[in-house]
Amino acid sequence: MTTMTRRLRQSRPLRQLRRMGPPRWLAIAAATIVALNLTLAGASAHGPDPTLSGGPFGQNQDLRFRWRSGSEPTAAIKTAIRTAAADANASRASRAATFTYDAAGSNPIGYGVGATCGVNGLACFSRTVPTGFTMWLREQGHVFDWGTMKWCQAYVTPPNGCYDAEMIALDEFGHVEILDHHVNYANDTDYEDAIVQTFARAKLVVGWNMHAFGRCDVASLQYRYDVSSWASKYSTCLNLTTVLTLAASPTAIPIYGTTTLTAALRVADDASYLRLGGNPIAWRIVTLQRRAPGTTLWLTVGTMSNGSVPGTYLLSQRLTSDAEYRAVFKTPLDEGLVGNTSATVHVYVGWCNAAISRGGRSAVPCI
Amino acid sequence: MPRWSIRGSTLAILCVAQFTTACTAARPGVSAAGSAAPVAASAVASPVAMTASAAPRSPSSVEPPVASLAVEGGDPVAGQLGSFTWNARGSDSPWLPGTPLNVGTGERLTVTLADDVAVTDWSARQVPAGTVNGSGGVPLGGGPAPVTFAAPGPGSWSVQVVLRFDGGLGSAAYYWRVTVR
Repeated sequence: MTTMTRRLRQSRPLRQLRRMGPPRWLAIAAATIVALNLTLAGASAHGPDPTLSGGPFGQNQDLRFRWRSGSEPTAAIKTAIRTAAADANASRASRAATFTYDAAGSNPIGYGVGATCGVNGLACFSRTVPTGFTMWLREQGHVFDWGTMKWCQAYVTPPNGCYDAEMIALDEFGHVEILDHHVNYANDTDYEDAIVQTFARAKLVVGWNMHAFGRCDVASLQYRYDVSSWASKYSTCLNLTTVLTLAASPTAIPIYGTTTLTAALRVADDASYLRLGGNPIAWRIVTLQRRAPGTTLWLTVGTMSNGSVPGTYLLSQRLTSDAEYRAVFKTPLDEGLVGNTSATVHVYVGWCNAAISRGGRSAVPCI
Repeated sequence: MPRWSIRGSTLAILCVAQFTTACTAARPGVSAAGSAAPVAASAVASPVAMTASAAPRSPSSVEPPVASLAVEGGDPVAGQLGSFTWNARGSDSPWLPGTPLNVGTGERLTVTLADDVAVTDWSARQVPAGTVNGSGGVPLGGGPAPVTFAAPGPGSWSVQVVLRFDGGLGSAAYYWRVTVR
């Protein structure tokens, strides 16, 4: 190799490093490593929201709230809180508790100077499982050390710097369910993954007016309350291992006989998955693949249809020779499940019933 | 061995050291920021009046314990309490400006609690003082206790420290406005 060739193959950054003296080169390397250390330290804790002690409410428990006597919110704030309750119910994607306004409800929501929040708190909550909760929102104009309380709902044209009462109330409903503050990446690029946040954002910063639980809020709600149905999507904040099995019935058939292949897909029965472990996973796309025994090339037969048992998938095959099958569940892009492939199942095709009754082995003589 | 190969080996060694550090930081009881800047012998803190009560809190109290930040040999300064969850209740706040604290460049900062409450893990980050909404935070450290990290570079910073308490007691964010000379 010529010197010229070596120069051409050596990248520009490397050439620049070569021209530097060792001390400068090492200093740059050290600085890069320090920067990488900081990045790693800040990026280590993303995932489902942590949860509060005290446990969850009952699945789909209806928590009815009323306005606290003597501390009723203004009309605009009442509307925001009611809407936030509807947001929570609509976006929980789980069997989490629901929130319903009821003038006779047992759970008071207050507004104003009686708020028992922390000294810097916009809003606050308490939860007592399984009986109920309380919630407070500060009054418009409350003076904090850091500024004056401005609810966007108090204005016809909300100014920048106001807080969206609907979002703040939804944050509190999330706490009531069981959610603690989400652990973001250090630069908060994932702020919108959760509405239950360590610090609230004001108009017009990204994430100031989210009106649905974020995917990492939902992930924790699913862990603690389970999904709504076996067909429900799992939050993309999760990364659940799946188990996929395949069976043929019968495993041996005569020529031109038919066998039915049944796949079963479920969430791995992992204790850390809490209520989700072992769940059947229904109404997904599971495909059946086939190959000739002794070969390695798999060909897709087709998509298996949903069975009557949740999480099962069926496809019948009419055969003239032995075949091997496997089921495939590809990792979906729209939910937090990890794809899987079943073990291989061998279906034997015999020449006569005697062979079939002995398991379909071709060496069995026919009489 | 050619010069470049020697340097390449050096880089490889540094990279191995990098990942060894990352693994070490992930072990319980070892701070992720533990290998940062050394403590300056001439550290001088300028404590400022606390804005929160320093009375000890027990797990049955309504708020998390007061958290104070100090450099070695300096007086602790209580942080401004932001959002928290504590004993089945909680409060939500915006990013706060923080309690003023003056430190020297390279000094090591340590958070202590007014009550005997164990911290399972923590994270700290900074934004330029005056930044609202905490946008563009830069990490200062994190991991299991103890809560200690190197001061940011010269300037005025709003520093947020989030503590997660042992036993499922909850979590809390504290803020300081740290001026680094």
